[in-house]
Amino acid sequence: MSNLKKIVLAEDNSTLSLLLKFRLEKEGFQLLIAEDGKKAVELIEANAPDIILTDIMMPYISGLEVISHVRNKLKLQIPIIVFSAAGQEEMVLKAFNLGANDFMGKPFSPNELVIRVKRLLI
Amino acid sequence: MFNNQNILEYFNQLPTLLKIVWIGSVVLFILILFFLFYLYYLRTYLRSKELISKNLFTQYENDLITYLYLGENTSQINSEQQTIIDKMKVSIQNTFKRTILISVLSKLKSDISGEMALAINQLFIKTGLLNYALKKLESKKWNQIALGIKELTQFEITNVYNEISKFQNYPKQEVRNQVQLYYVSLFHFKGLEFLDNLKTPISEWNQIQLLEILQKFDDQEITDISPWLKSENDSVVLFALKLAKIYNQFQVIEILLQLLNHKNKEIRVSAIEILGYFQVKETKEIVKSNFLDRSSEEKITFFKILQDIVTADDEAFIIENTLNPNFQIRFLAFQLLKKNHIEKLHELKQNATEFDNSRIFNFLEVV
Repeated sequence: MSNLKKIVLAEDNSTLSLLLKFRLEKEGFQLLIAEDGKKAVELIEANAPDIILTDIMMPYISGLEVISHVRNKLKLQIPIIVFSAAGQEEMVLKAFNLGANDFMGKPFSPNELVIRVKRLLI
Repeated sequence: MFNNQNILEYFNQLPTLLKIVWIGSVVLFILILFFLFYLYYLRTYLRSKELISKNLFTQYENDLITYLYLGENTSQINSEQQTIIDKMKVSIQNTFKRTILISVLSKLKSDISGEMALAINQLFIKTGLLNYALKKLESKKWNQIALGIKELTQFEITNVYNEISKFQNYPKQEVRNQVQLYYVSLFHFKGLEFLDNLKTPISEWNQIQLLEILQKFDDQEITDISPWLKSENDSVVLFALKLAKIYNQFQVIEILLQLLNHKNKEIRVSAIEILGYFQVKETKEIVKSNFLDRSSEEKITFFKILQDIVTADDEAFIIENTLNPNFQIRFLAFQLLKKNHIEKLHELKQNATEFDNSRIFNFLEVV
């Protein structure tokens, strides 16, 4: 059985997802990618990840709804990092109120993301 | 049994009207068949194009990620990266493929920063996409020019400043918008120098975009905005007024006071608002001196800012405006009285006869 730390990445930009997949797998994580919030919820429920990385604006279910689902319905306390674009400051505040642990504004550096992920998983 | 001869005979015996109906039906039937086949062809063509586009997108995504990770620990282009560049160079000779590659690069570029973002810019140059973008600047179609400038902005090509400047006063606004975004995105506050010679208006939407871009930069030291506040171009003055407020430009207060008598009403209103934001008391005397000649918007804005800079000697002016024909001004005047001269407000309430004013008193809960 694999003992790699599992990350669910919910991001609708497929190129960014692919880039982060390569980067984080290189650091020894197992990546599970969801292109929308609905798929992210399914992956979280099926795989019990160690950390969740989610964009705020996504099709079907938003990042905020994903956080709410994890914290209020699944009652999980796993770390959540939120990605937000410029002009989504209010959304970020809502994400923190719902239980997000950290946020990164787009555009962000993949290297910085790796550092933040590692810090939250210590 | 019917044969062709019989059909023709039967047709010839028919009355003229029925013949026309038959001919019409046959033509319509042929047309429907033609459109059905055309629709089928179109759907198949679009689906196959979509599939090709999707496959190419995935292929370019993989190539791009491989390229970026191959160069992660070195500043030099290695042979494997060069192979990817060469492959892309050949591929982008086709316009369709070129558009897809640009969309892949743009998509990633908009979401990441740091060394990888710089590597994408380099890839844009090395694959020759830069030359295609520059060629778009020579196009006679305005949308191609705007697209070219947008690409040059997104991939941070700073050394084409002079080429872009030629479009600064281009007749089509969309092109001008892209030029302005290019200046500010790549040259930050220094990029605002285009305002010195701008003869065309800056759209409200572009002003918002420019301000948003400026606020992203770490260095928030703004250049002197005084010349723009004195510009002949009203939209430049309005934009400079926004800059004055956001970047707290107290040193331009003298010019702002002069703008209270500018020929453009929108500028006068903005100047009142910003001077109120800076709480400049001299504003009051200037506005009051010709208050009756000012527009309703200026009067209302002035009463709004008066909430913050009101003093005892404004009492007579406020009372005078409790009789102003404009309901909003009257309301703001009563509000000021409630805040600063409540006894006077009680006095006015007892003598109130006007129905409108009693509504204001009720709203202000004057007891």
